[in-house]
Amino acid sequence: MAITRIGNIASTIPDDSIQNAKFSNIVQSKNIIINGDMNIAQRGTSTASITSSSYNTVDRWKNTFSSLGTWTISQDTDVPTGQGFAKSLKYDCTTADGSPSAGDFCNLRQIVEGQNLQYLKVGTSSAQSLTASFWVKTNKTGTYICTLNTSGRFISKSYSISSSNTWTKISITFPGDTSGTMANSNANGLEIFFWLGAGSTFTSGTLQTSWGSVTNADYAVGQVNLADSTDNNFWITGIQLEAGTSASDFEFLPYDVNLNRCLRYFYFDDCDLFMYTNRVSDTPRAGQKQFPIPMRAAPTFTSISSTEISNTAMTDSSRFMVTFRQSGSDGDVPRYNSYNFSSEL
Amino acid sequence: MINTVEKIYFDGDFVCYKTTYQDSSVSLVPLKTDNTDYQAIQEWSAIEGNNIIDPGA
Repeated sequence: MAITRIGNIASTIPDDSIQNAKFSNIVQSKNIIINGDMNIAQRGTSTASITSSSYNTVDRWKNTFSSLGTWTISQDTDVPTGQGFAKSLKYDCTTADGSPSAGDFCNLRQIVEGQNLQYLKVGTSSAQSLTASFWVKTNKTGTYICTLNTSGRFISKSYSISSSNTWTKISITFPGDTSGTMANSNANGLEIFFWLGAGSTFTSGTLQTSWGSVTNADYAVGQVNLADSTDNNFWITGIQLEAGTSASDFEFLPYDVNLNRCLRYFYFDDCDLFMYTNRVSDTPRAGQKQFPIPMRAAPTFTSISSTEISNTAMTDSSRFMVTFRQSGSDGDVPRYNSYNFSSEL
Repeated sequence: MINTVEKIYFDGDFVCYKTTYQDSSVSLVPLKTDNTDYQAIQEWSAIEGNNIIDPGA
């Protein structure tokens, strides 16, 4: 009987082996990309009037702009049917720019720590190929460019969206980089770009489809300009980047696992941060905040709903906590009602 | 986009930067070289005309 067999097999496996296997399944993600299903959005679900580079809405995804249109970027529920996704990232052009200046560009990117990617063996004859797969939908059909960027080197590949407003799965394989370098540290190791538009500075050369040093003109040759009409929208989800030459099914992670991966880079908290004090005069007070998980680097602190940052100093920070000290008027108990910590790349 | 950067002192020690961005948000940036906001401040201050405000200890 099947149940008996399962019982017999389990009884021959040491408990710690089972735990290790379970743990391994969680942490050894095949997907290099974090939050590829766009499920986590600690910064909020929509940001309007975006014209410059910043992290908005969904975690880990940086919207990189240089004077190419104005955008509303949102976490959206328009997803490919029957694929298991619940959220996508949507770009909505709200001010068009049909004639980009040479240096204008717009792309979506994620930056990955080099210490997580040493298994790619960059710079050796055994360098691993990488395959990117993702779902896209847009009314703006034509050629789009996807780029991988490492320290001073990049490779770009084009893909075509031919059906307007239809979810399409794209798969692109990049050869391994046998000549590059990748620092084994918490710094930038690899970036993936999804170009949405670019001026001639990035489009006037020949698309660089093999790894090579940076020549701006070869980055995004052929890329359509998604910013050329306020009618334009672009959705993307299910982004996976994995070692190898074929795209496997998207790796869905439990929400808590996905969130924890994001918390290494950004932590939003809307719980009051109090700084207790016994003071009756202007003696400084101190408060500490410990992060849910160690962050990538000592983070930047931004207070959102309080102006008390004006007389605050961040006197100590680490990957584990930050200590604030503050002077203020008598009787106040300083606090921040909503704040975040960022150690994004 | 950075608007202003000011050195913050506490008990006489330079402890962090206070950065004001063009969207009026304000952040405290640690003096850690692997923090990308710290790196951005160094790049910003290297541009002629951009000066870090130093109120002194």
